[in-house]
Amino acid sequence: MKKRLNGLLTLLLVLVVQLGFAQEKTVTGTVLDEDGLPLPGVNVIEQGTSNGVQTNFDGEFTLSIEVGDVMVFSYLGFATKEVAVTSADVYDVVLSVDAAALDEVVVVGYGTATKRSFAGTATTVDAENLEVKAYSNISQALAGEVAGVNVINTSGQPGTTSTIRIRGFGSVNGSRTPLYVVDGVPFSGSINSINPSDIKSTTILKDATATAIYGARGANGVVLITTKTGSSAAEDYIEVDVRTGVNDQIIPRYDVVRSPEEYIGYVWEGIYNRAVIEGSANPVDVANANLFSDNYVPAGYNLWNVANGAELINPETRMVRDGVTRRYNPESFADEAFDSAIRTEANVRFGGGDEQTTYFASVGYLNDDGYAVNTGYDRYTTRLNVKSDVKEWLEIGANIGYTFSESLNNGQTVGSENVFEFADKTAPIFPVFLRDDNFQKIEDPIYGGFLYDYGSSSNFRTRPQSDNLNPIGSALYDFNGTDRHELNGNFSLNLDITDNLTFETRFGAQYYMDRFISASNPFYGTSVGEGGSLFKRDREVLTTNFLQLFRYNNQFGNHTIEALAAHESNDFEFDEDTQFKTKVVLPGLYELNNYIVNAQPPTGFNEGRSIESYFGQINYDYDDKYYLTGSVRRDGSSRFVNEKWGTFGSVGAAWVVTNEDFLYNNDIISFLKLKASYGITGDQAGVGFYSGFNTFDLGNLNGNISVSVLDNGNPDLTWETSRQLQAGVEFSLGRWLDGSVDYYVKDTDNLIFDRRVGPSQGIAIITVNDGELRNSGLEFNLTGHLVDSKDFKLDLNVNGEILNNEILTMPLEPSTGEPRILDRSNAPYAYSEGRSIFDIYTREWAGVDPANGAPLWYQYFDDVNGNGTFDGDDVAIQTMVPYLADNPDANVQKTITDTYVDATEKYIGKSGIPDVRGGVRLNATWKNFNFSTQMLYSFGGYAIDFQYAELMSDRFGAVGNNYHTDIANRWQRPGDITNVPRLADAFDPRAASTSTRFLTKTDYLAINNAIVGYTLSGDKLGDAVNSLNIFVSGDNLFAKTAREGFLPYTSESGNSGRRLYAPLTTFTMGVRVKF
Amino acid sequence: MKNIFKLTGIAATLFLGVGCSEEFLDKQPSEFLTQSQVAEAASNNPEVIAGSVAGIYTLQFESGSGGTGGHDDFGQKAYDIYGDMLSGDVALSVSSFGWYRSNITEFQATQDFTNGDNYQVWRYYYRIIRSANLVIDALGGNDAVPELAENKYLLGQAKAMRAHSYFYLTQYFTKKYDPNAEILPIYVTSDDVNGPKVTAAEIFALIEKDLNDAISLLDGFNRTAKNQVNKAVAQGILAYALAFQGDDWQTVKDLTGDVIANGGFRLMNRDEVTGGFNDASTPGWMWGVDLTTDSGVGLLSWWGQMDYFSYSYAGYGDYKAMDSDLYAQISDDDIRKSQFLNDPSSSNHLQPWFKFYDPAKQPRGTSTTIVNDLIYMRVAEMYLLHAEAAANLGMDGEAIAALQTLLNERVDDASYVTSLGGQALKDEIYLQTRIELWGEGKSYLALKRNMETVVRGPNHLSFVGVPIPYDDERLTFEIPQEEILYNPFVNSQND
Repeated sequence: MKKRLNGLLTLLLVLVVQLGFAQEKTVTGTVLDEDGLPLPGVNVIEQGTSNGVQTNFDGEFTLSIEVGDVMVFSYLGFATKEVAVTSADVYDVVLSVDAAALDEVVVVGYGTATKRSFAGTATTVDAENLEVKAYSNISQALAGEVAGVNVINTSGQPGTTSTIRIRGFGSVNGSRTPLYVVDGVPFSGSINSINPSDIKSTTILKDATATAIYGARGANGVVLITTKTGSSAAEDYIEVDVRTGVNDQIIPRYDVVRSPEEYIGYVWEGIYNRAVIEGSANPVDVANANLFSDNYVPAGYNLWNVANGAELINPETRMVRDGVTRRYNPESFADEAFDSAIRTEANVRFGGGDEQTTYFASVGYLNDDGYAVNTGYDRYTTRLNVKSDVKEWLEIGANIGYTFSESLNNGQTVGSENVFEFADKTAPIFPVFLRDDNFQKIEDPIYGGFLYDYGSSSNFRTRPQSDNLNPIGSALYDFNGTDRHELNGNFSLNLDITDNLTFETRFGAQYYMDRFISASNPFYGTSVGEGGSLFKRDREVLTTNFLQLFRYNNQFGNHTIEALAAHESNDFEFDEDTQFKTKVVLPGLYELNNYIVNAQPPTGFNEGRSIESYFGQINYDYDDKYYLTGSVRRDGSSRFVNEKWGTFGSVGAAWVVTNEDFLYNNDIISFLKLKASYGITGDQAGVGFYSGFNTFDLGNLNGNISVSVLDNGNPDLTWETSRQLQAGVEFSLGRWLDGSVDYYVKDTDNLIFDRRVGPSQGIAIITVNDGELRNSGLEFNLTGHLVDSKDFKLDLNVNGEILNNEILTMPLEPSTGEPRILDRSNAPYAYSEGRSIFDIYTREWAGVDPANGAPLWYQYFDDVNGNGTFDGDDVAIQTMVPYLADNPDANVQKTITDTYVDATEKYIGKSGIPDVRGGVRLNATWKNFNFSTQMLYSFGGYAIDFQYAELMSDRFGAVGNNYHTDIANRWQRPGDITNVPRLADAFDPRAASTSTRFLTKTDYLAINNAIVGYTLSGDKLGDAVNSLNIFVSGDNLFAKTAREGFLPYTSESGNSGRRLYAPLTTFTMGVRVKF
Repeated sequence: MKNIFKLTGIAATLFLGVGCSEEFLDKQPSEFLTQSQVAEAASNNPEVIAGSVAGIYTLQFESGSGGTGGHDDFGQKAYDIYGDMLSGDVALSVSSFGWYRSNITEFQATQDFTNGDNYQVWRYYYRIIRSANLVIDALGGNDAVPELAENKYLLGQAKAMRAHSYFYLTQYFTKKYDPNAEILPIYVTSDDVNGPKVTAAEIFALIEKDLNDAISLLDGFNRTAKNQVNKAVAQGILAYALAFQGDDWQTVKDLTGDVIANGGFRLMNRDEVTGGFNDASTPGWMWGVDLTTDSGVGLLSWWGQMDYFSYSYAGYGDYKAMDSDLYAQISDDDIRKSQFLNDPSSSNHLQPWFKFYDPAKQPRGTSTTIVNDLIYMRVAEMYLLHAEAAANLGMDGEAIAALQTLLNERVDDASYVTSLGGQALKDEIYLQTRIELWGEGKSYLALKRNMETVVRGPNHLSFVGVPIPYDDERLTFEIPQEEILYNPFVNSQND
């Protein structure tokens, strides 16, 4: 270390001195390949400049250059070589064939393999592609990088971890979550605790031969993360990167009505239409009289200079009369809630070592503020990774990371008081700030500024929407956040017993302590009555993992064998304590002693689970052409009572065809590998820790013990198992195209299935292992090297998946011994044999009755009398699948009904699963500039846009929510042809309930990331600085979806949900310097 | 070579030494307990056995016990509100959050078997039944008569709770009493699995047997808290069940008479009926639960829906008021007229500001924790049922006497009652039942018993003035979709 410090101190001096001693000369040389043949057309360039030449036909070159500069020799298909200019004048250089890509070492389960040899499908994502994205963790950055990996960015709250799905939907009710493994240790902490800039490589394991070694836990794929290490090969280095940027919302929200005048017209029209329908003699009078009343718009919210509805609305146009002026302009909740915010990140990394010991150390800081008021994420990370050959036969390693984070999550209450709900759904007639009876804003004596409008508790008027709530006020004056300390690390010890046999042991632990605080202020909002409140929840998790492994390697002629045998145990312990107190003394001090009333009893508990495993693996390689691998693993899980143990395993084979004589050194097919694998993996995470037991809740009833029935357990629950068959090909065509295609069929049986019970039994669900689900798919990953010249390179990568999902067998109904016909527990989908788990099952919309504007749906019936109309003994069908199961010969016809509940629920032939989805990446370099962009796409899926439905809902009192601007297309007068029913103050029940009316394509095309960078390297920067890279980038720049505000990539099903914190758009500028 | 042996030794020790014991894969919870943990606790602590009956009483006010996350899902009192709203006596006069609005007051739930409110009612009462069955099984089964007095009392309580739940199921899922109609699946042990609907006669036979068993088992039971069912409460439940069937008014009259005479309760006086209805120790309360901070009750509760002076929907824009037509029928000298805010200019008009309230009387409450008590039954109901039974038996004099005893505590001059007879007397008893028990979940039972018709007053938000008879399909819940789909033996709704 001392040496490096001196180097830093002399940095400026050297730069000055160097200018004076620069000395130019002419060098010559010849470039040859490994067989000694001259290579013509090789680029010879002075590093970091445009000074360069190409070799002639004989491989010779001549270049003017200064002593100390570096010559870079590059030629397509050969490894680039750098040669420093010394006092010598002649340089003969040998370039070797670039096999780096194929011989790149891939970290796979409990060992490594080369890309060439691996029989399974393991995709390593370039760290560069992930690092450039402005995300706090690796999960979000994985979007679009790997075929068959679906990344669902569920929230824009900074610090959110994304949901990841690998190869479809592995289970119905069980877990679909992949296993994370960090530095060889199964990871159960927060992926946020791993700073992405500390990650060396991220590998996704998809097929069974790759995942089966994780046995029990590999069924839904594995994400392997390896953190950076030092190296004895290169010089010690310091790397600094700093970036700063802006977070904002650029992707539009739902297009809702913003004009109070337009909105109040709709309210009036709703009351009017209802009066017409109900046969009122004078519907105009009814509407005029009711418009400003407590169940519609309370008089205090009349923001116009008129006395009543009659003065406001022209009954002919049903719009606000010309010339009506406002008393005040109501503020918009969206404007008050959202604003751009700053993101700053800085990381410093140190690495290096000598032949015995290597080290890597880093510190990082992230300050990431969200665009929603008072949301953000601050994080401090450190990591130290040291390895040392203590003795000839002993290597030890220790790798420890510590993270402290503060997450601020204000305004995201799961309830009515949510900034996103208010922003989209509050009628534009309601102001953010309170108005007095003279319609003036009122100064806030406590916090300064003006008082927020909390509705009735503001003591001026009742607000008929979300009364007593104001999310802006609460987001500003309340607190909702989490502080978290997280440690993860491992200690390893490798003994070389003989040259061929090693023993490895690794103890890994992850610990976190997480303190959640939710405090409400005593002055405004929900906690006024109790004088402020404080909820505190402490959580503590310790996961330990202990591995012992024997590894044997040997080579006999062309035969190479690697074998391992191991034991591993994993233990997870979770502790939680909560406190709730009220009546604060000093507001803003969120400590329990500062609150004086114990409003709820404290709670606390501990829970845990454990897994124990024995496993082994054999890899065999003949002459770098044929590779075989096999593994077996036996796991026991504490989650199961009677059947704890399961056995899993896999076999795989690969054939590198281009290493056969008939294809060797072929110009067209430069690489070809065929591979196939089959394996059995398991899952246990889909059941609770104690799902095997009948459980009882404990309580206090008047000071006595109360033991009430909680859940019914199933002691026979055991492993869900997947059998996956895969075949694949990897190839390179010339130097222009690299690709891989995999096809797999993955059948999961013993499905962890929540078998519904008729609730009269007193229970609703028995979790069983039953039923069978198939996921099959085709995955492709193609990279074209479109341009590859001296100054300009352009690569295009396209990846994607085509996925099919089908329930092969439904769970048995024990009383009949037959498979269950239909399970409706996951509306708007249904489960039944032959269908995917995302096949939409709902009522069919039939449009709007032009005569009266009523909503219409299709009702199917069994046309018993065969006359084509619904009459006589015809039977109405409430739900299609069970009816057809009971009456296979039914003569099904359809008619139209204006009563939602009479409409038939049925499969509508649409699925939530897209036909194809994936990512496209374009990488370009031009001289020292680099450019890259990544797009995501998905085509062919459908979802229900529930949020649009709410915005098209004709709610009671008409002022319950805002409208989407599409409400302008509503039916207004007899004869109107439209798809939007009349406004009638909710006279038509359930017009906006789930039906095909709100079926929406989930197709999207999104620009996920774009970056432009410029790199300076070489001695232009001086001795001490190795390279300098500056860049600007943007994340989440554009999304084209079926409707503004509808973002199907934010949920697994694609359906829209309430309270979405839409993903942030981030613009970043950064600089990275390597010393 | 030595080194090799040494290293192998170290490696082998580590490898085998940590080969775990079977205990490694055994984990026990502490957030809740497993059945064997409960048994272990019970072996050393008899309180735990009593705790399993207390557990049933806890479920009675537990949010989510109807299997949903709804803010209208909080046990018995949740369904009391459903009943009060269906009967029209409780009007939803202002609605801003939407609870009850479409599903209950607009009858969408009762006309759509896929609506979750149907599930909620069904799930809750059958959950209680299974909990009771577990206790009954543990105490020796349906025909057991435990030797230990404590166990006798526990068995009696469990049977009464089972009967109570079956009784409420008959109310909410059938239009009227038809002994031959197959109405509900029946479960008498915790091992029973899904089965077909059985006749109302069979259900009522079980209800009556359970309650008669309970009445004898609970003889001598000196309960420690009012949440426990004692003999009088069991008699009260039986009286309701018999009155609904309408063919044994004599027993109804006897049971209620016995409770009045020997139950040890007295009618709530004028001060008490305007005192907030928040204290289970009130002498007029027969059955109720004393909630404390430790009960863990908050917004999702009866108080959280009904009381303007609690942290509640009733405080924040979902106003539950007395039906204005019913209010108009309360005579001016009636103390109960003062239970409601009378200010037609206010949107809070006719909210029960002076009947049900948190003692602090601060609008929207002083705490998000609810400690005000819940009422399930009071002795006034026995007087009214007694009068109703007597009137149905033609014993108008006894009916008048019972009614007058109550009204003397409510009005300045109750002498007008003596002039009533026949149908007019029955009508008056019905009216007084609705007024006296407003908001207590009993109007719906009275509506069905008396085969009356709902006509909503003008302060309702919909169906104002539309006559809806007691057996209209809009007034009973549908057997939920989940039962039809997942119980292969139940394929049809009740008539």
